[in-house]
Amino acid sequence: MNKPLNTNVPTGLVSGKAKLRMNLIMLVVLGLYIFSSVMTNSSVLRFNAEFFENVWVMVVQLFPPNWAYAGVVWGKLMETVKMALIATTIAGLLCIPFSLLAANNIVHNKFLYNFTKMFLNIMRTIPELILAVVFVGLFGIGVFSGILALIIFSLGILAKLISETIEAIDMNPLEAIRASGGNTLQVIWYAVVPQVLPQFVSFTLYVFEINVRASVVLGFVGAGGIGLILRQQINFLSYQNVSTIIVITFVVVVIIDYISNKLRGRLV
Amino acid sequence: MIEFKDLSLVYPNGTQGLKNVNVKINEGEFVVIVGLSGAGKSTFIRSINRMVTPTHGELLVDDENILKYKGNDLRKLRTKVGMIFQNYNLVKRSTVMKNVISGRLGHTGTLRSILNLYKKEDMALAYESLKRVNIEEKLYSRADQLSGGQQQRVSIARVLTQQPSVVLADEPVASLDPPTSHQVMKYLKKINREDNITTIVNLHFIDMAMEYADRIIGMRSGEIVFDGPASEVNEKTFEEIYGRPIKEDDIRGGKDDNEQTP
Repeated sequence: MNKPLNTNVPTGLVSGKAKLRMNLIMLVVLGLYIFSSVMTNSSVLRFNAEFFENVWVMVVQLFPPNWAYAGVVWGKLMETVKMALIATTIAGLLCIPFSLLAANNIVHNKFLYNFTKMFLNIMRTIPELILAVVFVGLFGIGVFSGILALIIFSLGILAKLISETIEAIDMNPLEAIRASGGNTLQVIWYAVVPQVLPQFVSFTLYVFEINVRASVVLGFVGAGGIGLILRQQINFLSYQNVSTIIVITFVVVVIIDYISNKLRGRLV
Repeated sequence: MIEFKDLSLVYPNGTQGLKNVNVKINEGEFVVIVGLSGAGKSTFIRSINRMVTPTHGELLVDDENILKYKGNDLRKLRTKVGMIFQNYNLVKRSTVMKNVISGRLGHTGTLRSILNLYKKEDMALAYESLKRVNIEEKLYSRADQLSGGQQQRVSIARVLTQQPSVVLADEPVASLDPPTSHQVMKYLKKINREDNITTIVNLHFIDMAMEYADRIIGMRSGEIVFDGPASEVNEKTFEEIYGRPIKEDDIRGGKDDNEQTP
């Protein structure tokens, strides 16, 4: 029983060679972290006394919010919400043909299907901020440019989400409608639409939430809405106005997200 | 009249669905196709409304070869030939009425059907069809709130609303319990008799085939191996069609149900 251990008994769970390789990889990765940290001058050491002093200075500058400025903020914020609303609605309508064309159980033509998919992929890769810059260049500063940027941005997301929903539907009712002599549009309207409608509404509300948040940023490049005055007030160093903007925007975005979440929970 | 002339179908993956099928089905007949699964029953039925397209031969419906049909002709054929499915194939989130009126789609313009602007006669016809299968009180229920038997009745109502001259039923009772199965078969038989609708039903239960069919066609590996009146059929015939002894699964039973039937 108490014989010395056989030399053939394995010493670990992986071979010595694999262990060495793993350790080397770990070292290289660690080295990359240190290198990036040094090059970007970012480390925990930056949270020093000076940092906390700055926080204090900032807090003092931001408080109290200038409530007299709230009227201006409210108007601009509503502009932002309106931008999001219009853009989401138009994108919601436009995405219907796109999501049908990008569903492989509806479109059997491989070329058309792949082309639509690729087109949507390209649209999704362009950041909304870049779209806004482009449209501001083409149409000038203002809400219209922002709306166009949001439409294209949300069209890409919506069409992807909805085409994937369409690809997952029950195909049997489609067969039945086709077997009773329905044409393609009738098959879509009678068998596809009822099956995806709840998800369609849910995704559109979700994209509306995203658009409200995105349109706050769009104002920074001149595409209308609350971001415009946010940048302006930061440049003017009127931090008490800035904090009014931040507080009101935060409250409104939270309320919109809450309502939208509740609505989506009731669906599907 | 439906006539198969040397009809064959080879699926793209090489499976032979139908092999040199020659058969004539007369107007108003109640034909039951029997055979094991994979024998070609579904392919046989689905060829008639061109849900699948045979690769050789001719298929005549009312003296026209339907294999050449495309687009409009195909849709016209499908309004004439109604179909009932094993899984009912209702749109579950839509109301019973919307499911039933969809039987009129082949007769209704696209715009009208999208805006739900159905003719009064069509609405009346849909309601009448629901009454014929005794489910009119579920008019505005959502299809997914109904039991399996009720859903199959709604799908019969949908076919009736189509006013077809032929009804194809692909394993209409395979997902139902015995009493409900008999109820559904009785409704099919009733509309076959009352409206003189040619009815072709796929079944694999031998007792049901013998009880409801006028004529039984037996299939095995894509070929017709038996064709004769139901009165000439006995268990021995089925053993020949199936190529094996009859098992318990081949019998539905539950004939003496006390459920309310027409």
